[in-house]
Amino acid sequence: MQVELSRRKFLQGTVALSVAGGSAMSATNLFASTESPEKKLSITTKTGAAKEVKEIPTLCEMCVNKCAAIARVEDGIVTKLDPNPMFPKSKNMLCPRGNAGIQALYDPDRLKYPMIRTGEKGEGKFKRVTWDEAFRYITEKTVKILDEEEDNRSTFLFCAGEGMAEHTFQTFYQAFGSSNWLNHSSICLQTVASAYGVTLGAYPQSDLENAEYIIMAGANRAEAIVTPDTMDIFKRTKGRGAKMVCIDPRFTNTAAKADQWLAINPGTDLAFVLALTYVVLDEELYDKAYVEKYFNDFEAYRSHILTNGYTPEWAEPITNIKAKEIYQIAREFMAHAPKAIYYPGRRSTFAKSDFQLRRAMAIFQALSGGIDTKGGLVFGGKIEIEGHESLMPLYDKAKERGVVKTEAGYADCAVVSGGGSWLAWRNNFLEGKMPYSVRGMFCYKHNPMQNMPNTKKTAEMLKKMELVVCIDTMPSDTVMYADVVLPECTYLERTDPVKTFGGTEPALAQRNKVVEPMFESKPVNEILRGLTKHLSRPLFEVTKKYDSEVQDALTEEDEEAYYEEEFDMTRMYSHDQEVLNAHAVHAHEGAAEALKKYGIYYPKMDQYYKQLSANEHQYYPEKEKFYSVGEGRPQTPSGKVECNLANMSSKGIDGMPTWREEYRFSVPEGKFRLMTGRHAQYTQSGTSNNIVLHDLMPENYIWINKRVAKERGIAFGDKVEVASSTGSTVIRAYPTEKIAPNQVFFIHGFGAESSALTWAYKNGGSDNAVIEDVLEPVYGAAAMHETNVEIRKV
Amino acid sequence: MARYGMALDYKNCINCKACEVACKEENGILMGADKHRIWVGVKEIKGEYPLLDIVSSSFEPSQCQHCDSAPCQEVCPTNATYYDDNGVVRVDPDKCILCSYCMNACPYDARYVDDRTMTVDKCNFCSDTRLARGETTTACQATCPTKVRTFGDLDDPESEISVLLRTREHFSLKSHLGTKPKLFYLT
Repeated sequence: MQVELSRRKFLQGTVALSVAGGSAMSATNLFASTESPEKKLSITTKTGAAKEVKEIPTLCEMCVNKCAAIARVEDGIVTKLDPNPMFPKSKNMLCPRGNAGIQALYDPDRLKYPMIRTGEKGEGKFKRVTWDEAFRYITEKTVKILDEEEDNRSTFLFCAGEGMAEHTFQTFYQAFGSSNWLNHSSICLQTVASAYGVTLGAYPQSDLENAEYIIMAGANRAEAIVTPDTMDIFKRTKGRGAKMVCIDPRFTNTAAKADQWLAINPGTDLAFVLALTYVVLDEELYDKAYVEKYFNDFEAYRSHILTNGYTPEWAEPITNIKAKEIYQIAREFMAHAPKAIYYPGRRSTFAKSDFQLRRAMAIFQALSGGIDTKGGLVFGGKIEIEGHESLMPLYDKAKERGVVKTEAGYADCAVVSGGGSWLAWRNNFLEGKMPYSVRGMFCYKHNPMQNMPNTKKTAEMLKKMELVVCIDTMPSDTVMYADVVLPECTYLERTDPVKTFGGTEPALAQRNKVVEPMFESKPVNEILRGLTKHLSRPLFEVTKKYDSEVQDALTEEDEEAYYEEEFDMTRMYSHDQEVLNAHAVHAHEGAAEALKKYGIYYPKMDQYYKQLSANEHQYYPEKEKFYSVGEGRPQTPSGKVECNLANMSSKGIDGMPTWREEYRFSVPEGKFRLMTGRHAQYTQSGTSNNIVLHDLMPENYIWINKRVAKERGIAFGDKVEVASSTGSTVIRAYPTEKIAPNQVFFIHGFGAESSALTWAYKNGGSDNAVIEDVLEPVYGAAAMHETNVEIRKV
Repeated sequence: MARYGMALDYKNCINCKACEVACKEENGILMGADKHRIWVGVKEIKGEYPLLDIVSSSFEPSQCQHCDSAPCQEVCPTNATYYDDNGVVRVDPDKCILCSYCMNACPYDARYVDDRTMTVDKCNFCSDTRLARGETTTACQATCPTKVRTFGDLDDPESEISVLLRTREHFSLKSHLGTKPKLFYLT
């Protein structure tokens, strides 16, 4: 008890440091500027007769990139989104999804009012209620559950998708006091980000503007657009400054723009990197000075690679890449070092070996010396901003995260990260393995029904939850299972927390509200303001009833003052986002005004930023760019590249990247390995109802090898059923030679089951109805490319 | 007066189709795959997996060529298709009778029917919209992630497009037809 108490005090101390003194800000000072972001225009486009035209800088939310856009508003209607050239990250571009963002705002299907479920879960029958009614309903149910569970706050699960306001929702989770937080990490880039983190100390960026040699493996930058990488690289391939080798089982658009494409067996990239490493160590092509200065356990790693015999000849039958090509790539890479990049990529986990693959890639890159240097991987600079207010009370009765433990550690994976393992959590919940019962769930901007493997299980989980609260903009498949639906406004209707973007050209960027929220939708900050007004005090009453520490404290302290200081959730949401943002950047003179006017700010922007030509802009002068911030020093605590992770070995994970026979690619005769992926015109399920994007590609198609399709009598456009042990989906066929005979592929995000989505409903095939729930062993990430399927013409 | 043209660094194109959406949003074009002023041409790759001919798979962004000698203008019986003062091939919706001769005459398949105005419409380099507002780029150029396009005045020797065409090798599509296109593909 004594220990717990002091821990609470300690945490309070750390929280206080990150709390912004919001009350010190004056709103009048903030908005006193006479300059407005509006620009008067004489002629308009759509009607030719608009009385008022405004141009408002904002940030796109059609995917995770957060590119800068300028919204043209004619008489209150958003008529066009244009690129904002001032942002160094997105450099004067908007992709097709960014252009189609208007439809996110004006989609007739969007959630308009708070709703409470009236039908069965999944049926999509709701009644419209007022915000107060919705909040009262949530409060009543939540208090009842927490009372029955004697204030175990962890009986509620909180989950969120990626986004600029994800943190705002997370502050609600923290103040609520649950230990069960699940976000996109374990179905997104957990393994790549963490593996680079433990090896190099950070998940670095790639200086593709200056690299001369690029290995682009398992990354599809032409279709899975990442800014600025996509813009930087494709102007320089095909003999125009950089040689790009594309390693991918499929002939993607990236392969089409590469200088060399090598078709690798799915999931065998680790063997490829180990063989590259073998050549570099065996022929002593590595940067000896860099290794001497910045490597830990180099000799052990060298010996590990050489004695295991990871030769190109060894890798050839595993990867399907010729040994001579592996020699060639290893030698060319090191010849161009340090202006050579093994591109880290940014994607979901595909294979069980993914963590080891990323470690091997990071070490291979470091062997070239191409770390924290121009043309290599870079850590970049970052502009500091202040965090905003948070509250983290310690609830004595709140149990720790719902995980299954064994004597050796955890049952599902070696490490439980902050974002948790979604699949392991869901499956433990369904199988009754949770150490306590979880009965409620708050879900923000997240679509578990479509975003993770095995849709049937997710549906079962949502049905079992007694209270599911969804905050979203669209009636997604998950919303169909909600008990209460709270409509968030779209990104064009809200100002989000200001964000700092690190890199060689760091900047701050802000999503400014373009138009007022439509219908009764609200930004999440205001939703939580309303919800906590209802919820905060009754929850404290439950705590008072069961929490002996709180009872003890109340014998000495005034209850009102104590509540306000430690448990009052409402104060986190009392300020509007504009006020919070101005405070976050107050250390930078002129930043708040610039962010409103231009959407972008960085020091000396007024001197540095200039237009060079119709298409090009300078953000920083060359000598001011943050190519190198530590003279090549890795950002690990030791300041070294960590070749051997001894603490991992104790958890049953290879301390050094090691090939295991179980990683070998094999598909039973007559079956196909299913691969999934992204697309330049769609972002997961979030854009699948966008009619403008449907105009470009009305549904997803399954890639199947042309010769195989012919044998099976499958022609373009034929419907086929794709089935695994998980389930099946029906999708139209695209026979092509761009894929191997024993593999099939289709893009993620289609085949919605929500009948409230006019265009997405039962349109195309759903990958997660078919993908088996396979866990990657380190973080319990979902391994998406481990499923074999059968194909049948229907 | 200017003589507008466009240079395309077509090797940059990744077939993302941002230009197609930007064009539709800017110019208020109707939905539908057959309602495109602008498009990316794709050829199915040659060869058998994994021995594919990487150069056979290219992306060819295209739109109206704004020919100096435009077949669509020649065949138009009502002079609805005309050259404006900037050399841009335009359509007068009041004169168009939807005879569709222009659609047959255009060797680039650049004309399409707009069902609202009942006009055989086409790309006009954003003349009604962006250029009319004083902008100096078309929607397709401005939005492009890899900056394929450079739009400008061919008569101005100092314009970016003129400099590009002087310093970079380039070709035109179906130049043997004598259409004198003002779209130039940089090699």
